[in-house]
Amino acid sequence: MKNRLIPWLMVLPVLVLFLSMTIYPFAFMIWSSFRQYDLSKGAETRFIGLSNYFQIFSDTTAIESFKFTAKLLAIAVPVELLLGIGVAFLIRGVRGEKIIRSSLLIPMMVPAAVSGVAWKMLYNYAFGPVNWFLSLFNVSKISWLGDMNYAQLGIILIDVWQWTPFVFLMIYAGLQSVPQDLIDAARVDGADWGKVFLHVEFPLLRPLILVALVLRIIDCLKTFDIVFMTTWGGPGAATHTYSFYIYKVGVSFGWNIGYASALSVLLLLVSMLLVNIVFRLVRMRQQLGFGGEGE
Amino acid sequence: MRRLLVLVFVALVVMAFSAVKISVLCSPDNADALKWLAGEFMKQNPDIQVEIVPLSWELLYPKLLQDLRSQAGSFEAFTYDVMTTGAVSFGLEDLGAFMKKYPELLPPDYDLNDFIPQVLEESGMWQGKLIGLPFYNNTMLFYYRKDLFEDPKLKQAFKEKYGRELTLPTTWEEVKEIAEFFTKKFNRNSPTEYGIALMFPRTHTLFYMYLLFFGEYRCAPLGIMRHGAADLEYGEYFTADHKPAFNSEEGLKALEMMKKLMPYSPDPLGSDYGETIEYFNQGLVAMVPQWTGPYLIFKSTVGADKVGVIPMPGRSVSGQWALAINKFIPEEKKVAAFRFITFATTKWADKNKFLRFAVAPARMSTLKDPEVRAADPRVPALEVTYVSQTHRPRIPEEPRLEDITVETFSKILAGTLPLSMDTLNDLAKKWQEVLGK
Repeated sequence: MKNRLIPWLMVLPVLVLFLSMTIYPFAFMIWSSFRQYDLSKGAETRFIGLSNYFQIFSDTTAIESFKFTAKLLAIAVPVELLLGIGVAFLIRGVRGEKIIRSSLLIPMMVPAAVSGVAWKMLYNYAFGPVNWFLSLFNVSKISWLGDMNYAQLGIILIDVWQWTPFVFLMIYAGLQSVPQDLIDAARVDGADWGKVFLHVEFPLLRPLILVALVLRIIDCLKTFDIVFMTTWGGPGAATHTYSFYIYKVGVSFGWNIGYASALSVLLLLVSMLLVNIVFRLVRMRQQLGFGGEGE
Repeated sequence: MRRLLVLVFVALVVMAFSAVKISVLCSPDNADALKWLAGEFMKQNPDIQVEIVPLSWELLYPKLLQDLRSQAGSFEAFTYDVMTTGAVSFGLEDLGAFMKKYPELLPPDYDLNDFIPQVLEESGMWQGKLIGLPFYNNTMLFYYRKDLFEDPKLKQAFKEKYGRELTLPTTWEEVKEIAEFFTKKFNRNSPTEYGIALMFPRTHTLFYMYLLFFGEYRCAPLGIMRHGAADLEYGEYFTADHKPAFNSEEGLKALEMMKKLMPYSPDPLGSDYGETIEYFNQGLVAMVPQWTGPYLIFKSTVGADKVGVIPMPGRSVSGQWALAINKFIPEEKKVAAFRFITFATTKWADKNKFLRFAVAPARMSTLKDPEVRAADPRVPALEVTYVSQTHRPRIPEEPRLEDITVETFSKILAGTLPLSMDTLNDLAKKWQEVLGK
C-alpha cells in the first residue's frame, strides 16, 4: 500500500500545479460563460443559461472582430507560408547564408509590444519612414492607422513581417534533413530543380508545412498585442481582432467576465474546428505518422 | 568609530524593517510629480516607505478594478481618473470619516475649502462621501504658435484673404478659417503644413475630444433649454434627467464641425496624444488642443516665446485625477497612505507639482499665488477653463459607454456610417441597453 502511494505523492505537486493552473481556469471559463458575471457591477453572479452565447450573434463589434480575424487568417497565413517556404529555398547555398538566416529571424525574436511601438512609428503619417519611402515613387501620404482599409493592411503586413520567419525557420530546418543522395539521384535521372522540389523535397517537407500551417492558424486567431500597440482596434472596429475584443470585454472596459468567457469558448471551438478541418483535408495524421484513415 | 558604524547600520536595518511600506499606483502623466513628492515625504516621515508604480491609462483602470474587486490589497493608494469614479467607488476609503477618526493626521495647514469647489466635488465626492483628494486637475487648453499669429506679413495675408484680423479664435468656426489659412494645401504660402493637430483615434481620446465640440452647443442657452443643465455625475453627454443628449441637433453639429476641421489636420483618425504633440513640436501645425501637461514639452522644444495658450474655443473637458486609499488594507497601512495622500495634496505640494512638473493645480491658493502667476502663462487660461469646462460621465457604466461611442463616432468621421440622426439614435439605444433602461 505504502509503495503504491509513493509515486502518487511524488507527482502530486505537479498534478496540483497543473490542475490549478490549467484545468481550474478552463473549467471556470466554461462555468462563468453561463453566468451574468460583471465585475464593474459587483461580484454577485447568476445563472443565465446561453444568454451570453446568444449575445455574440447580435453584437456587431464581435461580428466585425470575427470578420477581420478571418481576413487576417485568409491573407496573412498563406502569404507567410509562401514567403517562408520561398525564402528557405532561396537562401540555400548562397554566399552569407548564415548571416542572412540569422537576420531573417530577428522579427520573430522582437517582443510584439516592442514591434508594435516600432511599427507605429514606421507608419507615422507625417514623419514615418514608410510614407517617406513611398514618396520616392510619388505615392501620396497614406494614413496607415487612420484609414479603415489601410489600417487592416497595415496589421496584416506586421503579422507577415513578424511570423514569416517562423515558417522559414521550420522549413529551413526541414530542408537540412532532406537526404542529399535522394536529390543527387533525381538529378542523375535528369530532374531539373522544379522536379526535384515537387517530387523529392516537397513530399518530405509536407509534414512540416502542415505543422507550420496549424500553428499559424492557432496563433493568428489569438492576435492581440500588435492591435493593442498600434490601432486599438480602430478606426471604427476595422482592426479589432477577436482576441483583442475578448480582452476589451473581459478586462479593459469593465471586467464582463461572463460575456468574455462565452467569447473565449467560441474562439476555442472555432480553433478546434479549423485545426480539425486542416487535419482532415490534408490527412495530416497520416503525414505525421499518427495512424491512417482506418484508425 | 567601528562601533558607531555598526550602531548606525543596525539602526538603519531596524528602521528599514520597521517602516510601513505602501505602494501607490498611478498614471504615467503624474508619476514624476508623485515620485518627487514621495521622496520629500519620506525625508520627513522615515517610518513610511512609499513606492510609486506608474501604469499606462489602458492598464491602470482594469488593474485597479481587479485589485479592488478581489480585495487583494496590492496597492494601498492610487490615482484614479475622474470618469472611473463610479466604477471604483465601492473600494475606496471614506476619507471624511477617516479625517474625523484621526484628526491629528491631517497636516496643520491642510484646508479642504481651498480646493476649487467644483474640482473637489467632481474628483473627490461620490454619493455624499469624500472618497478622493484632488491631485491632478487636468483640463484641455488650446495651444498655438504665438510667433505665427503675431507675424505682420501673415496677419496682412490673412486679412486680405478673409477680410478680418488674424485674432485668437474664440469659436470652432474661427478655428476652421485659421486652420485653413495655415494649411499648405489651401494656402501655398502657409509656413506650416497643416493648421491644426487633431486626435480622433479609436482609443478613449475620441470620447473626450467630442465634448470640446459638443460642449459649445450643449452649454449654449438653446442647448440648456433643450437638455437642461448637466450634473457632475452624468456630465454633458446626458440630459438633466439622465438620458443621452448627443442624439440631438447639438450632437450632429458637433460631429459636423469635427468633420469640417479634419482636412486641416494631419491624419486625425490615426493620431493620438503622442503624435499630435510631435506635430506641434516639429512645427508641422500652427494650433493644437491638448492637456495641461504637454506645455512643458512645447516650451522646451518650440520655445516659451513661440508657444501661446488660451482657453478652448468651444468648451474644454475636465480630466481630473484624485488620490484615494484602498478600503481593503490593514488599518496601519491606511494611516500611512492617508499621511502620504494628504501630504501630496497640501498647498505646498499643489504649487510645487505645478511649477516643477506641470501637474495642473487643484487649489485656489496656487492659482492666486504671485510666484505661480509670474512663472506660468497657463494660469489665466486655467482660471477661465475651470469654471466653463464640460464633464464626462462618472457612472460605473462609463467605460462601456465610452467604448461603444468611440466606435460609432470613429465610423462617422471615417465616413463608413452616415452622419445622421438615425445613427445617433441607434447609438443612444445602445446606451439605454447598457444602462438597463
